[in-house]
Amino acid sequence: MDKKPSHARTVIAYIVLIILTFLCLFFFYILLINCTRSHQQIQHGFSFLPGSSFVKNFNNVIHDAKLPVLSGIKNSLIVSACCAALATYFSTLTAYGLYAYNFKLKKPAFIFIMLILVMPTQVSAMGFINVITKMGMINTLYPLILPSVAAPAVFYFMYSYMQSSLPLELIEAARIDGCNEFKTFNRIVLPIMKPAIAVQAIFAFVQNWNNYFIPALVLQENSKRTLPILIAMLRSADFLKFDMGKVYMLITIAIVPIIIVYIALSRYIVAGVALGGVKE
Amino acid sequence: MAGIIFKDVEKTYDNGVTVVPDLNLEIKDKEFVVLVGPSGCGKSTTLRMIAGLESITKGDLFIGDQRMNAVPPKDRNIAMVFQSYALYPHMSVYKNMAFALELAKTPKDEIDKKVHAAAEILGLEPYLDRKPKALSGGQRQRVALGRAMVRNPEVFLLDEPLSNLDAKLRTEMRSQISKLHKQLGTTFVYVTHDQTEAMTMGDRICVMKDGIIQQFDTPQNLYDYPCNLFVAGFIGSPQMNFIDATVEKAGSGYQLCFGEAKIKVDNEALAPYVGKTVVCGIRPEDFHAEPQFAGEGNMIDAYIDLDEMMGSESYLYLNYAGQKLITRVPARYAKRADENITLAIDTSKIHVFDKETELVICQ
Repeated sequence: MDKKPSHARTVIAYIVLIILTFLCLFFFYILLINCTRSHQQIQHGFSFLPGSSFVKNFNNVIHDAKLPVLSGIKNSLIVSACCAALATYFSTLTAYGLYAYNFKLKKPAFIFIMLILVMPTQVSAMGFINVITKMGMINTLYPLILPSVAAPAVFYFMYSYMQSSLPLELIEAARIDGCNEFKTFNRIVLPIMKPAIAVQAIFAFVQNWNNYFIPALVLQENSKRTLPILIAMLRSADFLKFDMGKVYMLITIAIVPIIIVYIALSRYIVAGVALGGVKE
Repeated sequence: MAGIIFKDVEKTYDNGVTVVPDLNLEIKDKEFVVLVGPSGCGKSTTLRMIAGLESITKGDLFIGDQRMNAVPPKDRNIAMVFQSYALYPHMSVYKNMAFALELAKTPKDEIDKKVHAAAEILGLEPYLDRKPKALSGGQRQRVALGRAMVRNPEVFLLDEPLSNLDAKLRTEMRSQISKLHKQLGTTFVYVTHDQTEAMTMGDRICVMKDGIIQQFDTPQNLYDYPCNLFVAGFIGSPQMNFIDATVEKAGSGYQLCFGEAKIKVDNEALAPYVGKTVVCGIRPEDFHAEPQFAGEGNMIDAYIDLDEMMGSESYLYLNYAGQKLITRVPARYAKRADENITLAIDTSKIHVFDKETELVICQ
């Protein structure tokens, strides 16, 4: 091919990518700048330069007696980590069951799981709250963690990944080698599924970290609340106490763990985008 | 060490398809048996039934003296090499080979000894720390063999283990597997669709079609005395020529007539076929261009459609009396395409088959 058009294409591609990157990162930049500025400064308008109120904002957030930020971080971490672990392990297990075994209700089971996938959380929310209230689990973290055992979207991802990357012969080889069914899953299937598990673990972690709807319904005590609820509380504070610097600081604190998770696992995220499409 | 016996075994899948209708087969202890046949003939299913990876619908399977129908794969003391090798991608070569022993709770130093012993035989010592991804096809194949070897199984099952290798490597591995069989002195059951592999490796070959055993015999017997048209056509490369011929009475004996040829066959088995058409099977090498084979009635003068020079010999694709024939003649007697050649048929090596039942009449 001629060199010129490909060169022009590269330039256009770079311009488009730069614009997209700007759109993605600009809001983070605003966030980071604003968390260093005081409420008055923020109300004045936007600035590209950071202010000097970082420590003040930070102290305001951390030492607010009505705003248990540390326990909020702890609760969010517990819920997100447990959900990520449960969702990936049990979804992989379910996908493995449907992928590797032949049984009569295999197809209906698959369709049933796919049907759950199209059901929005909001539809079943009232029933869900009723059930957990009767079970005495209201105002605890369990109702946020336990349902992640059934994650149809994660299941479907795992199922497709198995189809492309887990030959049945491997499972048969393990059986002949002396594995029972659970050992086959834990020692052969899980390690092979690692890239897919990593991707889904990240997604599940982030999704639960950001989850507001169900926790807002379930958690009533301040000490049980997760970060998104605390942010919402702060934003809806009455006019006299409203401090934009504090809000931006809390949001910054809230996204730090996610950024760490992303950086630590970015290798898997990139790989995960191509998952299922490319066979080794 | 153990032999394998199939007694009236039937395999029907859940969708109602019967792959193996009624299998009776006895594989002796320490024997190298090759199951061969076209794809879909039930050979892999048979092997997988031995492994316990397929359930048996009816009948009994014995390994040694024990009935194995309901015994899970891990308790059958078998090892299997898969077509795709089925190496665990996340484990090193060493771990792959040691895995079964680890599961059996073998002491660590013994595992180490066994893995290194197998690796030495297979030339895998330098690769023990590598992952399967970093190995070539031939090396992966050897790891798969090694994984089977370390377990010291009673029965070795191999499911088309060479079909993913290139031609040169395949020949090499073929002899390596044969050598391994002699070294280990274990029962080997080998599945392939390649008759060359079957002929070169097996002590006995079981030719299958549609789940039914056509013939179970030594390679030489299969070649010399095929029991029906299918076996005759399947074993041997290039394959046997099949010519429609009419049987005529000639003096005290009979003769097979096609084109100009009238081949004398003195066999009473042909009596009921006088005046009828039979299929005459002649191997490519039983056509001779050398003058000493010339005789009465066994000569054909055929037009050469195509010739393939192989160096020491030449394959000639002939057109004779409206039938296509392949012959293999020494290169110095061969002629080129578009010429005519006169060939003598070795009448002592002719196979005659019933056209309807496809069974052998005489050979």
